[in-house]
Amino acid sequence: MNTPASDLVIETRALSKRYGRKLALDALDLAMARGQIHAIVGANGAGKSTLFRILLGFLPPSSGDARILGCDSRALAPADRGRIGFVNEEHTLPGWMRVEAVAAMQRHHYPRWNERAYAEVIGHYHVLPEQKVGQLSRGERAGFNLALALAQTPELLVLDEPTLGLDVVAKRAFLESLLYSNAMESCTVVYCSHQMEEVERVADNLIVLERGRLLSQSAPDDFRRRVSHWVADVPFQGPAPASIPGLLETRRLDGLHHYLVLDQDAGFADFLRAHGARSVQSMAVSLDRAVNAVLARNHAAPAATENAV
Amino acid sequence: MRDLFVAELRRFRICGLAAVLAQFVVLGFLARMVDLAQQPLLVYRVFGAVYAVAGLLLGLYQMGSYRRPNAWLNLLHRPLPAWRIALALCGAGIVWLALAVALPLVIIAALQHGMTARVVDLRHWLLPLAAWQLAAAGYLAGGYAMLANRRWSACGLVFLVWLLLADASGGAALAVQGLALVWLALLVGIAFKPDLAAPPRRAVATLATAVPVQMGAYLLLLLLGFGIEMLWIAQGSHPNNTATPPVGGHNEVERMAPAARLLAALSASRDAQAPLWREQIALSKVYALGVDVPWRLERNALTNHRPMGFEDAQRRVEWIFSHDRMRYEGHDLGTGKRHGELGVGSDDGAFPAPAMAAGTLPGLAEGDAVLIAGNTLYHYLSETAQVWPRLRLPTAELLLATTPVGEALVVQSDHALYLVDNGALAANEALVQPRLRLAIPGRQGDLRNIDLIELVDGYLVSFLFSNQSHELTGVAPYQSTWWWRDDGHATEVAHRALRFDYPAVYRYKAWWPSPALYALRVGAIGLFAAPDPLVATTPPPVPRSMWLLAGLLMLLSALGAGWLLRRAALSWPARAAWVIACGAIGLPALVSLYLLYREPT
Amino acid sequence: MARTQALMIQIATGDPRPISKQIVDAVRLKIATAELEPGDQLPSVRGLAQQLTINPNTVAKAYAELTGEGWLEARQGLGLYVATPRQRLSNAERDRRLDEAISAFVHEVAALDYPPDKALARLDRALKVLAPRKTA
Repeated sequence: MNTPASDLVIETRALSKRYGRKLALDALDLAMARGQIHAIVGANGAGKSTLFRILLGFLPPSSGDARILGCDSRALAPADRGRIGFVNEEHTLPGWMRVEAVAAMQRHHYPRWNERAYAEVIGHYHVLPEQKVGQLSRGERAGFNLALALAQTPELLVLDEPTLGLDVVAKRAFLESLLYSNAMESCTVVYCSHQMEEVERVADNLIVLERGRLLSQSAPDDFRRRVSHWVADVPFQGPAPASIPGLLETRRLDGLHHYLVLDQDAGFADFLRAHGARSVQSMAVSLDRAVNAVLARNHAAPAATENAV
Repeated sequence: MRDLFVAELRRFRICGLAAVLAQFVVLGFLARMVDLAQQPLLVYRVFGAVYAVAGLLLGLYQMGSYRRPNAWLNLLHRPLPAWRIALALCGAGIVWLALAVALPLVIIAALQHGMTARVVDLRHWLLPLAAWQLAAAGYLAGGYAMLANRRWSACGLVFLVWLLLADASGGAALAVQGLALVWLALLVGIAFKPDLAAPPRRAVATLATAVPVQMGAYLLLLLLGFGIEMLWIAQGSHPNNTATPPVGGHNEVERMAPAARLLAALSASRDAQAPLWREQIALSKVYALGVDVPWRLERNALTNHRPMGFEDAQRRVEWIFSHDRMRYEGHDLGTGKRHGELGVGSDDGAFPAPAMAAGTLPGLAEGDAVLIAGNTLYHYLSETAQVWPRLRLPTAELLLATTPVGEALVVQSDHALYLVDNGALAANEALVQPRLRLAIPGRQGDLRNIDLIELVDGYLVSFLFSNQSHELTGVAPYQSTWWWRDDGHATEVAHRALRFDYPAVYRYKAWWPSPALYALRVGAIGLFAAPDPLVATTPPPVPRSMWLLAGLLMLLSALGAGWLLRRAALSWPARAAWVIACGAIGLPALVSLYLLYREPT
Repeated sequence: MARTQALMIQIATGDPRPISKQIVDAVRLKIATAELEPGDQLPSVRGLAQQLTINPNTVAKAYAELTGEGWLEARQGLGLYVATPRQRLSNAERDRRLDEAISAFVHEVAALDYPPDKALARLDRALKVLAPRKTA
């Protein structure tokens, strides 16, 4: 590497992006360490794509700073771009070109092109060199795109919803070729996805964004543990939702009250009992459930939970 | 970069080759039907417009396929400077335009040159270059329109309007095109950056963008004025379209029949003979003089406003003027075979200026023709197939028309009227001297009508100067009437000043929105062009009211700039420059400031 | 000489247990049921990650936990092997963990409202899988 290796591959400080009256990023402070797989999750419109566009210099921030591989995003030199791989959900490759021509072009453009890594990844797919990119299936195009990105030997690989719209088989193939690749070992990956299954499989670090703000940044399991599921047998209404600490979601099923709560310990059982619960049980939730509950809490919710949290 | 260029070339290979073929077939077909080198200006304009539009569409399509955020990211996020990516993409587009536009033209020109007796001059060989430059200008304007921020990206079209209106001819026209191309390429280069929506940052880039944006805003203001004029016409009080024109204005006189116009001109006369002349006007034939040469013919002009040839029906020969040889080249109308060269005199000397056929005259033999070249009138004799100079005006003048009046011929130049006896012309083939001269009391560009009647002792000639009086370039309209006597004396017997039909705010509508941009417009249109005396006018000084209006708008623009800039993220020198620019340039600068730096919503 | 033993385990995403915990549990179960015997070599971190299509760091974490608990032992430069039983937890730690597991179990079962004898019968049946180990 020709630049001093900073410990952070991505760093934003008070980064905001405003579209008219809408804030896509709201004073976002992010720091992503080198050498890990970071997953970014967030509902649609959480500002993930905006964040990447700003990081790569394709959008100006309204305020704040963004740095990628230690460089100011607004002043990325071509050589810096060569160190950052980017794969987007559309896999926008020139559809009129042949696979071999695209590969040849990238090979000439990227000084650290790794032909073995390319062959290794593309080997997972039934892609012929003379095929036009436009004739590839969506899954093949995704794999081809990944092969190109990994062969660039990037220091940082950003994958923005790479498996969106792929069928189960293609998703699995994409993930396998990503995780199998030797090229992965030397690079930091930022994996942005709605697929919690993938996130659970790949992420070392989970970043949860909501409406342009950072909700959480931790190991996936630490995040999962913050959410717990309580079932209580409370006669009548139970405690007012507004008064329930850390409430994410509440439902009444078969006369039992189910609560998903954030950051509550055994004390929550006492809280429920204090409100007349005859029996109280708690259990852990899956990562998928934890993330969804946290992301869903501010969405249009029934009136009962409107004021929660 | 080479890979991108080659990939982009390959990308368009099918439509590119189809375009080459289609153009070749169309041109080949037309070349069979007509002489493509001898078409009226309109035909060349249609061809030019087709090339420019084809280029525009290619630019829109090609850049449109990359403009989507993800595609753009994929294209530009690579270890290559953006300008080299731009060069690769645009290079491929421009190469295809050269192949699809210029190549078939060159081939057709070569075929015409090699296989027919038709004239192919240097200026015709330059046409493919001009066509390619036009197409490339359209292409870059289209590319810019697609890439740059939508708020101002259409401003590249200003350069196409410029190329349509520019006065320069021949090599100078190519230079103007080249300049437009360079500027457009600069614009595309400026726009070709990761953040497409952002305004240019550096001062040079801002200037290069702001000038066309301001010119575009200025053109839009003119178009808006045109729209308002349409409403005015629809509403019914537009002087051009009222049932009865305003009394005493130039419109009234322009709409009159020649005799009525003469009478109106005489109404200002205090001459004792005026009543007598009025009676004569009622009884005589009124001659309205027209012009055969509306613009000066320039050697090596790429196009001619009408075909440069004439037919000798007796010999069945078509003579076509060659700018390279400065002589006519003949070919047989039946067989198409070459029929020799036609110059001046018995040794076929070169014409001193491009010649144009101006019909025939009474008393000339069948097949004969009158040719006009510069200040000289030539007579083509079919019998001997020779051309002889018959009348030579002073060298500073351009001969424009001949009109037979009774037994005489009135010859019009841009400075004077001359009277030549028909008898002298018909008698032999020698040079004749005009019998009378009457200096035209005004400039050719203002001159709208010349009406003339014969008197017993001479002629009564009335000039109407109002050709541009609806605009700021035109003279304050007037009629000037002269008694042109056979003894050589001429006296003005009536001078009738006419009223402007249009208020100053209408006439100066191209000026007050921005005197600076009006000057730029005049300068740009006249760039590299020799001044044409045939369109020269004598505009009156700008009225004080218009100065006030323009000044007020400039002041308001400066204030508006200060207001718009209050929240813009610009340095103090940049703010000051913008305020000064808005003060000096006026509304269009303010519009450009608003478009470039408005807070995104 | 021990050869790498295939590790026939499944992981499921969407489970309340994180993937590394699932691996730990599965390996412990395999050792407890003698499917893996002391001296058996485990797949490499990378190999198991590829097999399960997960992040290698997750496997590394699971292996580290298993090694820390004494289920596995690392041999310098050779890989990970199933450790001999004596190297496992202290008695106190075993007791603590058993209490923890029982408490979790009781909490879960309480909500299910089974009579204790029925729950115990089922538990007994489930614990029978450990039987081969006991008789060995």
